[in-house]
Amino acid sequence: MASCQRGERQAFDMLVLRYMQRAYQIALDFTHDYEEAKDMSQEAFLRAFSQIKRFDRKSTFYTWFYRILVNLCLDHHRRRGRFPWKQLDGQDEELTEERVMPNGPSPPDQEASAGEVKRQLGMALEALPGSQRTAFLLRNHQGLSISEVAKVMQTTEGTVRVHLHRAVAALRQSLAELV
Amino acid sequence: MIQHTDSMRPACKDFEEDLVLYYYGDCAGPERDRVEQHLKGCLSCRRFLQDLRTFLPLMIRPKERPQAFWDGYYTELQKKLAAMEDAEPWWKRLFSSFHPWTVPALGTALILILALTLTFTKGMWRPQGDSTEEKVPREIRAVTSDLDFFEAMDLLESLDLLETVEGTRSGGGSVQRL
Repeated sequence: MASCQRGERQAFDMLVLRYMQRAYQIALDFTHDYEEAKDMSQEAFLRAFSQIKRFDRKSTFYTWFYRILVNLCLDHHRRRGRFPWKQLDGQDEELTEERVMPNGPSPPDQEASAGEVKRQLGMALEALPGSQRTAFLLRNHQGLSISEVAKVMQTTEGTVRVHLHRAVAALRQSLAELV
Repeated sequence: MIQHTDSMRPACKDFEEDLVLYYYGDCAGPERDRVEQHLKGCLSCRRFLQDLRTFLPLMIRPKERPQAFWDGYYTELQKKLAAMEDAEPWWKRLFSSFHPWTVPALGTALILILALTLTFTKGMWRPQGDSTEEKVPREIRAVTSDLDFFEAMDLLESLDLLETVEGTRSGGGSVQRL
């Protein structure tokens, strides 16, 4: 990190190699667009490189970097409006029997395809306030701990728990509309 | 195919937040025991938790992208970083080595140096002797002496005028006396 802060490119390249896949994935969770996810995540690396001297090492590099990336995604989201929900991968449509809700008989009129459920969840996720969506994506999709999410969002762990709970409750509620 | 729960009934209000944390493994110690104890006797909360276990993993996208994509991504980012380095002006590069705290520190140091300089070199700033006369050009000095002359002339004229006025008064007085 010290080498990075002295402006050494090779040291920064190591950080790029380490975090580029996760950075891209976070941006993809926010944008649902491969090209925009690439642009957003690369822009975050460029900003991190230009601001690396301001990194005070009070937190880990990746929470500091994720903060830059998440803020970029949220700004982009605000400028552009809601991202259209897209089914990015055909494989998403496939569902195994293990994922079926194990809840008694399933009359045809109560059944919905996995794609439909995911589309509904995607739309509900887009409708969430930015803070709830960010907390949810970082915890559910990226597997960050509550304390890490709090550091990225520059808030308290209690607030993250509330955001996460409200996000999950809203997503579950959106599925009720399908029934 | 997905079969929805028959009702999507809500969980108990007091436990809903803890159930979300329990699902993510963020519920520890006594809280976890309390949730597990409650789950044993509450069907609604068990269904809520089951729903989370079913639909939340569905939302995570597959992460694998071909290696060629990452190679291209890395190369493209390298070019952007190089372009950004080239585009940075020399003064920015120079100042980039400065930390934000150096600006107030340098400012304070400069003020201190200035104050010390003014204090200890106070006598040296006084002008040596009265050199006003030397600094005034000769032409101006001549004009100044002319002004003195004219002021003296004005005074004399005033005296003449006074004498005339006095003479007139005394003449008038004698006429009256006559």
